[in-house]
Amino acid sequence: MTEATSDYARPTALPEALALLAAGPRTVLAGGTDLYPATQAQRLAGPLLDITALDGLAGITAGPDGLRIGAGTTWTALAEADLPPALVALQQAARLVGGRQIQNAGTLGGNLCNASPAADGVPPLLVLGAEVELASVRGVRRLPLERFVLGVRKTALAADELLTAVHIPAAALAGRSAFVKLGARAYLVISIAMVAVRIVAERGQVVEAALAVGACSAVARRLPAVEAALVGAPLSEVAARITEAEVAAALSPIADIRGTADYRLEAACVLLRRAVTQALPVEEPA
Amino acid sequence: MAISVNGTDIPVPDDPRVSLLDLLRERAHLTGTKVGCNQGACGACTVLLDGERVLSCLTLAVQADGRSVTTIEGLGDGAALHPMQQAFIDHDGFQCGYCTPGQICAAVAMLRELQGGVPSYVTADLAGQGTVTAEEIRERMSGNLCRCGAHNGIVEAILQVAKEQAA
Repeated sequence: MTEATSDYARPTALPEALALLAAGPRTVLAGGTDLYPATQAQRLAGPLLDITALDGLAGITAGPDGLRIGAGTTWTALAEADLPPALVALQQAARLVGGRQIQNAGTLGGNLCNASPAADGVPPLLVLGAEVELASVRGVRRLPLERFVLGVRKTALAADELLTAVHIPAAALAGRSAFVKLGARAYLVISIAMVAVRIVAERGQVVEAALAVGACSAVARRLPAVEAALVGAPLSEVAARITEAEVAAALSPIADIRGTADYRLEAACVLLRRAVTQALPVEEPA
Repeated sequence: MAISVNGTDIPVPDDPRVSLLDLLRERAHLTGTKVGCNQGACGACTVLLDGERVLSCLTLAVQADGRSVTTIEGLGDGAALHPMQQAFIDHDGFQCGYCTPGQICAAVAMLRELQGGVPSYVTADLAGQGTVTAEEIRERMSGNLCRCGAHNGIVEAILQVAKEQAA
């Protein structure tokens, strides 16, 4: 057995995977859609933990507390699942991550652990108040997504931990959502800006609003002040209440090769207005 | 420990870091599947794994253990071309031909997805039956790049096959 062979593991049971992680650092391989491009060599290097054969890592289950999305759930499985309208934003994001071949391989858990500022899965999960489930031989803990993704390629995942699931609380399953992303062209692009919104409306008024913007800061962010300004708004005024000044205060956008800060700010506002318009229920004729 | 490739069992390699792409080309000598970017961006290495389109450069051969792989060599029956291959010829769906095996494998799976009612980002009626339009094909084939720019012919070819299948 070569060294490369002995350093590769593809367990089927979670305890075995966690024991391997506890024994020493390993690169976790799921869909490989980020890992292969990041590998400069001809082949994957270093000790590997291939989690594609792990039992029970993929799949979406509903319970009294909300939804549990297994970390190994692919974009395709997410896009094709029968989910409440609050998760439409996540499903739209799933249909925009690369082409279908990438969607067949890439996983939600991998998207979060890779911690790219342009991770398409993050804004839709932020507007759902998602929590991540982290397992190790020491036990299982849960963290709000905001406290998991800490910076560019930086997460709160300990070396011996595996992200096993994402939880959506039952309260966040209310309302309708939308996801809109802006790239340099329509297909296969890294986002310049992307937004997810979730709106709960009753009797023609907004009662709850959740807005998140990605690719404009090191970590995607919720916009609490802008959200507060939308509560109570009649449906016809929601888009107009999203002002550049408030978005700027909440976001302080970055400048990079894909866009200047000013451009990003303007783009984020336009995308937010488009997304809330998409997410609003169609008004019943009086 | 074997992978069924176009109906023939191939042993899973001892080295677990061999990609499915390298297994197909270097060990099974099925060179129809092409190496493009080798990092999941171009779609040239697309093959069907249990009927689903995957990028063989992003798949380890061991991950295909016990599963069934179809490459461009396995689409036709040896004598006759697969309808999608014929349609690419009829509509000039290629120039240099390097991306073509991946395009054709992706197109075969794509039509199945579309006809099975799987929506894409541009599908307006998410609950409805899939309609085969040029817009749907462009969206759904976005994972396969053609540097010669034969995309219009590719879309025409796929539309023709969809029409034949519906007839």
